[in-house]
Amino acid sequence: MLDVPIYGRIATLELFRPHGETQDLLFIATERYKFCVLQWDADANEVITRAMGDVSDRIGRPTDNGQIGIIDPDCRLIGLHLYDGLFKVIPFDNKGQLKEAFNIRLEELQVLDIKFLYGCPKPTIVVLYQDNKDARHVKTYEVSLKDKDFVEGPWSQNNLDNGADLLIPVPPPFCGVLIIGEETIVYCSASAFKAIPIRPSITRAYGRVDADGSRYLLGDHSGLLHLLVIAHEKEKVTGLKIELLGETSIASTISYLDNAFVYVGSSYGDSQLIKLNLQPDAKGSYVEVLERYVNLGPIVDFCVVDLERQGQGQVVTCSGAYKDGSLRIVRNGIGINEQASVELQGIKGMWSLRSATDDLYDTFLVVSFISETRILAMNLEDELEETEIEGFCSQVQTLFCHDAVHNQLVQVTSSSVRLVSSTSRELRHEWHAPADYSINVATANATQVLLATRGGHLVYLEIGDGILIEKKHAQLKYDISCLDINPIGENPNFSNLAAVGMWTDISVRIFSLPDLNLITEEHLGGEIIPRSVLLCAFEGIPYLLCALGDGHLLNFLLNTTTGELTDRKKVSLGTQPITLRTFSSKNTTHVFAASDRPTVIYSSNKKLLYSNVNLKEVSHMCPFNSAAFPDSLAIAKEGELTIGTIDDIQKLHIRSIPLGEHARRICHQEQSRTFAICSLKYNQSSTEDSEMHFIRLLDDQTFEFISTYSLDQFEYGCSILSCSFSDDSNAYYCVGTAYVMPEENEPTKGRILVFMVEDGKLQLVAEKETKGAVYSLNAFNGKLLAAINQKIQLYKWMLRDDGTRELQSECGHHGHILALYVQTRGDFIVVGDLMKSISLLIYKHEEGAIEERARDYNANWMSAVEILDDDIYLGAENNFNLFTVRKNSEGATDEERGRLEVVGEYHLGEFVNRFRHGSLVMRLPDSDVGQIPTIIFGTVNGVIGVIASLPQDQYVFMEKLQTNLRKVIKGVGGLSHEQWRSFYSEKKTVDSRNFLDGDLIESFLDLGRSRMEEISKTMNVSVEELMKRVEELTRLH
Amino acid sequence: MWKEIGDRESGKLRPNSFITRIRSNRVSSLQLSNHKEIVSPHRGAINSLQVDLTEGRYLLSGASDASLAVYDIQRATDYDGGGLIAKHKPILLVDKQHQNGHKFAISTAIWYPIDTGLFVTGSYDHHVNVWDTNTTQVVMDFKMPGKVYRTAMSSLATSHMLIATATEDVQVRLCDMASGAFSHTLSGHRDGIMAVEWSTSSEWVLVTGGCDGAIRLWDIRRAGCFSVLDQSHSQLGRRPPLLERSTTKVSTSKCSLPGQTSSAKARAPQRKGSSGSGSKHSGSSRILRHAKGSAKQRLHPGLLSSQDRATAHYGAVIGLKATEDGMYLLSAGSDSRLRLWDIQSGCNTLVHFEIVRLQSSKAIQLAVTQDSALVFVPCMTSVKAFDVWTGKASMTLHGHYEHVNCCWYGAHDQELYTGGNDRQILIWSPPKLISEDVDEGDRRTGQPLAVDQDNWSD
Repeated sequence: MLDVPIYGRIATLELFRPHGETQDLLFIATERYKFCVLQWDADANEVITRAMGDVSDRIGRPTDNGQIGIIDPDCRLIGLHLYDGLFKVIPFDNKGQLKEAFNIRLEELQVLDIKFLYGCPKPTIVVLYQDNKDARHVKTYEVSLKDKDFVEGPWSQNNLDNGADLLIPVPPPFCGVLIIGEETIVYCSASAFKAIPIRPSITRAYGRVDADGSRYLLGDHSGLLHLLVIAHEKEKVTGLKIELLGETSIASTISYLDNAFVYVGSSYGDSQLIKLNLQPDAKGSYVEVLERYVNLGPIVDFCVVDLERQGQGQVVTCSGAYKDGSLRIVRNGIGINEQASVELQGIKGMWSLRSATDDLYDTFLVVSFISETRILAMNLEDELEETEIEGFCSQVQTLFCHDAVHNQLVQVTSSSVRLVSSTSRELRHEWHAPADYSINVATANATQVLLATRGGHLVYLEIGDGILIEKKHAQLKYDISCLDINPIGENPNFSNLAAVGMWTDISVRIFSLPDLNLITEEHLGGEIIPRSVLLCAFEGIPYLLCALGDGHLLNFLLNTTTGELTDRKKVSLGTQPITLRTFSSKNTTHVFAASDRPTVIYSSNKKLLYSNVNLKEVSHMCPFNSAAFPDSLAIAKEGELTIGTIDDIQKLHIRSIPLGEHARRICHQEQSRTFAICSLKYNQSSTEDSEMHFIRLLDDQTFEFISTYSLDQFEYGCSILSCSFSDDSNAYYCVGTAYVMPEENEPTKGRILVFMVEDGKLQLVAEKETKGAVYSLNAFNGKLLAAINQKIQLYKWMLRDDGTRELQSECGHHGHILALYVQTRGDFIVVGDLMKSISLLIYKHEEGAIEERARDYNANWMSAVEILDDDIYLGAENNFNLFTVRKNSEGATDEERGRLEVVGEYHLGEFVNRFRHGSLVMRLPDSDVGQIPTIIFGTVNGVIGVIASLPQDQYVFMEKLQTNLRKVIKGVGGLSHEQWRSFYSEKKTVDSRNFLDGDLIESFLDLGRSRMEEISKTMNVSVEELMKRVEELTRLH
Repeated sequence: MWKEIGDRESGKLRPNSFITRIRSNRVSSLQLSNHKEIVSPHRGAINSLQVDLTEGRYLLSGASDASLAVYDIQRATDYDGGGLIAKHKPILLVDKQHQNGHKFAISTAIWYPIDTGLFVTGSYDHHVNVWDTNTTQVVMDFKMPGKVYRTAMSSLATSHMLIATATEDVQVRLCDMASGAFSHTLSGHRDGIMAVEWSTSSEWVLVTGGCDGAIRLWDIRRAGCFSVLDQSHSQLGRRPPLLERSTTKVSTSKCSLPGQTSSAKARAPQRKGSSGSGSKHSGSSRILRHAKGSAKQRLHPGLLSSQDRATAHYGAVIGLKATEDGMYLLSAGSDSRLRLWDIQSGCNTLVHFEIVRLQSSKAIQLAVTQDSALVFVPCMTSVKAFDVWTGKASMTLHGHYEHVNCCWYGAHDQELYTGGNDRQILIWSPPKLISEDVDEGDRRTGQPLAVDQDNWSD
């Protein structure tokens, strides 16, 4: 799988194949009116841009119903409907190249859908539109390329279903078009008109099953999948049939792949790969879900919590909509699920051993200490119990252990190498190191042993049946710090290469085996000695990994025949020495780097990736795949030995809690260890669609509903907050609601409900009626600050004479259109308005009043706000932009002080619903990045992102790097990164400023060495330094 | 609105549809503002109103007593009615006493489109003045040959700073702010010019309307006007013929397919909502138009004399407004008609606006909403809002005691500002729910909420 960034929001995506082409081309148009034609180059494994351009116009108003991009089935032209009243045509010439575009006037103003018809001598479109009286019609137009105009088409059809929203062009031999309405489906062509009634539903997506267009899959708004069949006699359409197949996620796209496999893409739930069975299952469904692809969108709200109390944040999102609503717990890094642990101090090394060479499971766990070696094994009760292997020497520290061929085990101590039978557990053979040459380091595989003694002696042994044979001996100049002979060639038991790390000259050397000839020597530079080397292969590519004593890791591509090392890369994993070990998970080999910041090294798309493990310091690790604990790892932490399984090897871990209803707001309460959500359940079973709204309480470990409070009819939960009040130590959940009456434009009534959690139950302790929807609630100076329609209102928590509590309004502030998003800091209140950007209010204690301090006078329609620090506030707005404003308290005039100055602007290309302070990574207090504040955001598309406030000097440096990267990394389709990130709204487009694109900057690490050097040269900074600083950035998420 | 916000949040409603929907909801509920007032200092009829195009913050008004004023409409100067009614007093006022003040009525006052540092006024005293906002001094002065009725600057212009002026004179003059001199004199109208408007799609195209009933379109890079709108030319549906397309070929191909032409007409009225009304003169006028088109090619500059005589209104053209999408033009005439023109084809779309009467003596200032859905027209003492595509009156705003002269739609807040002969500037806004605030803690200022504006609304 290749994934390439597109610098734009993709508005249309169409595959087509011009005449004479052997493969399909991809047409992409972005919402900012750029288009490109892409081709896949299978040899180079990359995307080639065939054509690109701009299709924006000065004239016309952008369409409300989204952009339409279609391609004539005979590849004569591309049609675009981008502006009301205009149809843009990009013709193809004979060679399949694009010619100059032109506009044709389209009289229909409210266009719902446009498609090209099949089998027409001239390119012909069919237009579904709505007239002034809200009636819907279709009509056809031929596109005359010569006259650059429309000619009246072959047919039209008036007064369709009022919910008709989708056109499906039918390919030859039938041709014509299917018009999908909410209550009827119509087949229409010049010669035929067939209609069938359907159960009321809104069809959102379709997929064609057969090339002849006789069957279609239709997905509706409630996730039901139907099969629509065009009944025909030869080439004459005789009727339509529709059949329910089953339920899927609510589909936004349906692609019939082949052989009854269908991909259902969903923007409200997980996307799915399904199989359509010939026979229905017990529930009458023909649909079998084979695979699910995680989709977090739409993230309407989320909170950042530290459930495991490890100092690492997790994000819990309200994801999905309708029936596919769920909570998702998103965690960074790889978790270890602890199965067992024992207290053991001073572990110096660990190895697992099998009781027979062909055993599936490990039996023994050898744990080495400074002056003894203990052997643990699983007993019959599946408990780890100390045992003995008679042939092993247990009074000294073990340097290395390994399973060997012929049911043997190898133990290396500082004085000897012992070969022990794994069945009889008796010593079979022993090789003694010469008297004055104690063994320092050793390594082994199933047939080989390599050890290094004092004085730089390297000894190579081979393992026979009951015998150790000293094959070769070499004298090196310096002492040896580490060794590895992990087999990466074809033979899994024998390695042709040995990697050796050296003291003094700080180098790694590659020796050939068995002749022990030096074939490569690579000096590492610096003064830190290599502490662990490892030969390993990821996705078939051999690497040499070399870990240094200061927590850095070098990796090289290794040529297994010549021993040559290329493509050196250095990353910093921690600050302490690293020990490298391989392990397998899901039949793939990964590397565990044990250090103060344990990391798993794995490979994806032939690129090495590093994912931190959610553990603090780990000194040693070895895989321990026992019958009782399959696929487990033994991990030596400070004073403890843990056995646990490891998560899937990937960066982000997402756990899904399906709710079956749509969660809209979430918050966590530390004291009661619960989450509370506002949710709504759609009731589609009854004849009329109804909604039920709830406040639900969930346990923060099990995520089970433990208590529910039903809201009144028409009452919606709009906001939720966990807080406590001054003079009251209890923690409360406050919920703001709105009564949404069908006849009212804007809610005029709502409530603030105050709950306490008692015995796991929600207890209503106070309620307060409000004059509108409570869009936001904030804890504010031990009081409650609510945003109610256009007003900001402050409530005190008062003790009544009878000992009960109530909310009493203290003061308020008008002057907003709708105060949708509110954040507070100290006495300051930052308000994000429906359409009037950000304003800053201040609460004056003496007067007990809230006053406006400053405002941004731009007309931004807000979607989220957050306070970055005392002076800078962050906002997200309706056109997918981010911006920051600064309080100008030093301004000379009232006018200046009363104005929030826009300081940063950026086009994110995502609709942000929520910002929250927090971080997904564990912060190491001693590192620089630990001091950088971060904000997490969640978007409609399910994106979770991080915004970090960089110090000025780092920003300047990274901005320079970004500028240089823009020159080196060209966007796919010729799309410009600079243009893409420019702040873009109805009124203006300005270059981004004071924002950087972290994804672009981090892509520096994926560049080849030569391009890195090119950038390093222009920046006048060494490649190593650049990599180090970019890697520091990657630590932020 | 909570529902729309919820739908936007979960991706069911596109952000731009969200804006459109909220805006049109708000516009449809316009009423005399219950929370915002402008304190008018003028002692004569208000003739011109404009909010600046950069921030949407400063309202500029010009009045018949030769006074002009600027108000900050985003920040109130003080509050009334218990802090609930924001009063906006002028933050800048120039009247006859001012050393550079106009002698007679100010008929037009417009902002420099790029920033609020400059504004331009035109007066019956034959002068067009350019003012520095910060110093309130005239920095440039153009002497016109007669009373100035209207001025206009292009909000799109990046390469010129021209003030187009409509005066009593038959010529349109373009005053160049860069040089301080007239850069163009456009001749064609046969009578004084009441209305002038720049195109919203090209910085070079100017539209003018005269007392001769003609609306002329000019490309200021070329000599002469390139189009005169003809009210009887109403065959919308076909685009202007192409250069390489020969007249004969087109006419034959079209005539040979009568079915096609008639169907082409059938879709023209689709937008107008009155189908089949224009089917009396079909094929012949089509050919005529093509002939005209080719003639235009030959004769430009200076059109065919018959075309040159075309009129847009029976009577003077007293107001012009281009829609923001650059595709349509609205014109008001002293014949009490409002017409919607398709700019590209120059066709009268024949939308029938249900207007009873327009004042005929004075130029009026129309306003259109951002999405071109509604047009606001001063109709005697009221302001009416019409649906642009059907012509139906959707709102009638009563508030002024005397004739209304001008209106300006503030797209930022979906507010309408109107000025009339009664010397008042009224704000029409979506209502705010301020029935509340009888809350316990909030009784500090007392609540005599005597909504005295109610006086205005009947």
